Amino acid sequence: MTISLAPFIASWPFLLKAVGVTLFISVFSMLLGLVIGVIVGSLRTYGGRFLDVTLGFYVDTMRAIPLLVILVWVYFAFPMLTGLSINVTAAAIAALGIHLGAYIAETIRAGLTSVRKTQMSAALALGMSRTQAVRTIILPQAVIRMLPSLGSLFVFAVKDSAIASVIAVPELLRQTQVVAGNTYRPFELYTAAMLVYFLLCFPVARGVDMIYKRVAHLGSS
Amino acid sequence: MTFQWHVIWESLPRLLDGAAMTIWLSVVTMLIAIPGGLLLAFMRMSRFKAVSLLSACFVEFFRATPLILQIYWVYYVLPAYFDIRLSQIGTAILGLSCNISAFNSETFRSGIVSIRKGQWSAGRAIGMTDRQIMWHIVLPQAVLRVLPALATTWVSLFKDTSLVSIISVADLSYVSLKIRSETYRILEVLTAMAAIYWLMGYPQAKLVDWIHRRYKVTE
Repeated sequence: MTISLAPFIASWPFLLKAVGVTLFISVFSMLLGLVIGVIVGSLRTYGGRFLDVTLGFYVDTMRAIPLLVILVWVYFAFPMLTGLSINVTAAAIAALGIHLGAYIAETIRAGLTSVRKTQMSAALALGMSRTQAVRTIILPQAVIRMLPSLGSLFVFAVKDSAIASVIAVPELLRQTQVVAGNTYRPFELYTAAMLVYFLLCFPVARGVDMIYKRVAHLGSS
Repeated sequence: MTFQWHVIWESLPRLLDGAAMTIWLSVVTMLIAIPGGLLLAFMRMSRFKAVSLLSACFVEFFRATPLILQIYWVYYVLPAYFDIRLSQIGTAILGLSCNISAFNSETFRSGIVSIRKGQWSAGRAIGMTDRQIMWHIVLPQAVLRVLPALATTWVSLFKDTSLVSIISVADLSYVSLKIRSETYRILEVLTAMAAIYWLMGYPQAKLVDWIHRRYKVTE
């Protein structure tokens, strides 16, 4: 078995651009997920029984259906239903975002409810409004506690963006397949893609752990 | 637009075969990944640096790279470069088991580490060997503690099996996507696929929540 680096010399700008697309999709799906997650998570915690049950249905549905299924549904079935055409990258970000949003919502709800009830009572007793209490007392502690989960969810966003290759989004895995197909060098290309994903994900995971260790005391009460 | 749901009724037996394959793949993978995860966890806690490092590299690597790429890698690289020929199902199970074993090993390790040091000392004080302490005291408690995390992994495994459709293993997604391209009833078939996954996955997600409440550790 000989290892050839020729495919990389020939197509590194192409692959580098694909890494950029992977990062673009990961970051924007995380942002979309955060928007959905913050809204759903806080409404489930503070919005009363009806909202909790309704939004709980969305969260559990996303936990039950594979991302691949959501992705192909958004890209192939949704345009048929509505008559709108949708760009592949937008479909990928939308599908990843609504899937991730459910997990982020759970993280946010867990963080908010982890702060003891008595702190809310104490804040109300001091004459704060509920919004004030959440903003100044509960949220600062909850955010710190959510940090490790949010970090690992971002790692999941990067890894899951590879599933977008199924609908031919020009991200790293898809473009690796293209080059591997053209050069007949699957070993070198898939291995290199593995290393790139590892280099993207591992430092993020460890970095978040390290930051959390530094700030964990701020979230304890 | 007109819907033709009869397409779904006509292909229902095939869809159900696909669903059965999805369940079968999840069960077999988990049956391999529980001992696999335990082995990796023990290796990680080994007193031999090399063994521990090997396990750490395996686990970190599989946790930090996409499963879909791992499946492709196993599918294209093993036969072409190492002359290891597996069937598609074999490839799928190998890829899934390595991935889930890596996740399980971290779960088991955190469960074992969570048992207080005092219990080891107590075991030694009454003359037990380390192995006896591990098997009779630590593991039985650790298993209950990791049950919620294992259940969560089970649900994500169940969903992740959909990724083996890329190497033509006839699971629910592969069968559905195939029926879609045969009948061109895209909306109906994809909605049916999502519905079948939902019917199988939703009760599992609820069960996981129950297990989390039931076995939550309170000390």
